[in-house]
Amino acid sequence: MELKVNGSWRETPELPTVGALLTHLGVTHQAVGVLQNGQVVAREAFDREPLHDRDELEIVRFVGGG
Amino acid sequence: MSDSGFPVVRDVDRVRRLVALPDVRPAMLDKLAGATVAMVGMGGLGCASAPYLAAAGVGRLVLIDPGRVAPTDLGRQILYGAADVGALKVDAAAARLRAQSPGLSIVRHAVALGVDSADTLLGGATVVVDGLDDGRMRDVLNAWAVRGGAPVVFGGALGYEGQVTVVPPGGRPCLACLFGSVADAPAECSVAGVLGPLVGVVGSLQAGEALKWILGVGQALTGRLWLVDLFTGAARVVPVPVRATCPVCGGAEAI
Repeated sequence: MELKVNGSWRETPELPTVGALLTHLGVTHQAVGVLQNGQVVAREAFDREPLHDRDELEIVRFVGGG
Repeated sequence: MSDSGFPVVRDVDRVRRLVALPDVRPAMLDKLAGATVAMVGMGGLGCASAPYLAAAGVGRLVLIDPGRVAPTDLGRQILYGAADVGALKVDAAAARLRAQSPGLSIVRHAVALGVDSADTLLGGATVVVDGLDDGRMRDVLNAWAVRGGAPVVFGGALGYEGQVTVVPPGGRPCLACLFGSVADAPAECSVAGVLGPLVGVVGSLQAGEALKWILGVGQALTGRLWLVDLFTGAARVVPVPVRATCPVCGGAEAI
């Protein structure tokens, strides 16, 4: 499937959910924010929110230090 | 010369370049002189933002940090020098800021922010600048902003990456809209390292957001997250919409 991730289009295997995409990308961060087509996906919904071909996603990890 | 032996710097000279900005009127300077900015954390971010706020003519800074200056801080916490090692950060920072801006009023609290102390420590603040290195306390600060305290200019810096966003009083959106709780987010620069100037970049942007909010000029970074990666040199701004189910500021129990 084709997804736009953080501004760049990329080809990925068929991935059922947002959580599967995060796993595919190796994102294991504790505090990660995801926008799917401009809407926030709650962390507890990562593993049930379906992905669709040509979805546009922003994946942002929270930066802690100060 | 003043009694202290330093040349007298007139406040009007201090802010002359600020007033030269097309959106800033001389009458706005009263807003700066009357403003209180609470600095929660005087590490790398606080050391970068506080001097710009003092230099611009903010009337009062509240410095909140329980820590003492360690040798490992000196590579990026540029308000402190070798002679400050072992001193309370709020004391060392206050001395430097007073030398910079003699008319500045400074309140020092050598304590950590807590759920019970947030109202006491932050009450009366016009704007709060986040210089924390602890996700749990950032949750506290976010909840305090959402309860209607004051705008909080959040900043983070770790490794090569930094980010800034402003949570307005009442939230919508707030930090938890995008991230949920950040209590477990890695924040320890002793593990991840940090490029010194990164805290300067992020802290300076935070000071700019605080000054804009006080003056009422420009577009605040509310509903947007500013991201920078000094490793690649890339920066971008991501919109942060309100999350209807946000447990902190949204959903059925929203204000």
